Amino acid sequence: MTKEKENEFIVLLEKHQNIVHKVCRLYTNNYNAHNDLFQEITIQLWKAYPKFRGDAKFSTWMYRVGLNTAITLYRKSKRKIETQQFEAFEFKISAEEYDNTEEEQLKLMYKAVKQLNDIDKALVFLYLEDKNYTEISETLGISEVNARVKMNRVKKKLKTILNP
Amino acid sequence: MDELELLKSHWKKESNATDKKFTSNDLYSMLHKKSSSIVKTLFYISIAELLFWILLNGFSLIYSESYTKSMRMIYGDGYTAEIFTAISYAIILVFVYLLYKSHKSINTLDNAKKLMKSILNTRKIIKYYVIYNLVVVSLSMVFGFYIVLHKDPNLTENLAHFSSAQMNSLYAVLIVITIGFTLIIWLFYKLIYGFLLKRLNRNYQELKKLEI
Repeated sequence: MTKEKENEFIVLLEKHQNIVHKVCRLYTNNYNAHNDLFQEITIQLWKAYPKFRGDAKFSTWMYRVGLNTAITLYRKSKRKIETQQFEAFEFKISAEEYDNTEEEQLKLMYKAVKQLNDIDKALVFLYLEDKNYTEISETLGISEVNARVKMNRVKKKLKTILNP
Repeated sequence: MDELELLKSHWKKESNATDKKFTSNDLYSMLHKKSSSIVKTLFYISIAELLFWILLNGFSLIYSESYTKSMRMIYGDGYTAEIFTAISYAIILVFVYLLYKSHKSINTLDNAKKLMKSILNTRKIIKYYVIYNLVVVSLSMVFGFYIVLHKDPNLTENLAHFSSAQMNSLYAVLIVITIGFTLIIWLFYKLIYGFLLKRLNRNYQELKKLEI
């Protein structure tokens, strides 16, 4: 692939990298795993880039490849990741914006979401990203009705985790 | 659900946070790293699988005189042995073609369920290839033992002194060896694929469960 294409891809990826970071945050538990998954998603995005058609939005396309990599293709590796400047982060909850009860609630929610299985996490992720049920069903390959049913079950599951 | 809505609003605010950025240099170096995805591992395993059995057959054909001799003993002096060899290579070619097609059909842009299905299909083809080889190997072992025991002049002479009980235990030992060999290889595969595809299988079942 040409240098030009590579630069074009990097610009797009840099702009939309938050999507990949969010996928990594949901599916990994530490800094190294986060970076490793990020790298694998980047590789998969780059491999699929020639097939990317301009009529689809780059970000929409990233959701699919990102989730597919996280729940299907990803295998933990031992490669070393060198980056120039990147800070490890957790879900940051700023005390200025939320009162104590809310902060506590949020923490518990994040913890509960982390306990879900891979598919349930994907549903929650797409829901949090404001995707509608058509998009959710197309990304996961299930019918729209089933996506709704599944989402309701996930909500119940979260409730049970939060109020055992 | 209130909590999920609260999470959503927090999630959105966080999306715009700028404290987690890779530089374009970081991203650039990532592009050129090697993938460690399941598909890649599966691809290497299938190549290793094909090569292993092809080499095993090839070496025994080319280098082992006793193998050629026993093939002659089994099939006679005609072209039967050659025909069998040709068929077995044709079957390998069919598997190579199927594997190639299957690997090609794996597309990261498919939906999750379809992607999982095409990966599992590739695994299935490798599985059939392994089963085919195991069947051929165990059948040839059984035939081989039988022919050697009955047609090898040196052996038949020695075996003539064996009592029927001794003969039976000899058969039993040979059967156990054949079964043991086949089982060990089978378990080895089960372990490799079980380990590699455990998570994928679990996620695929989870998606499939919904359709029932």
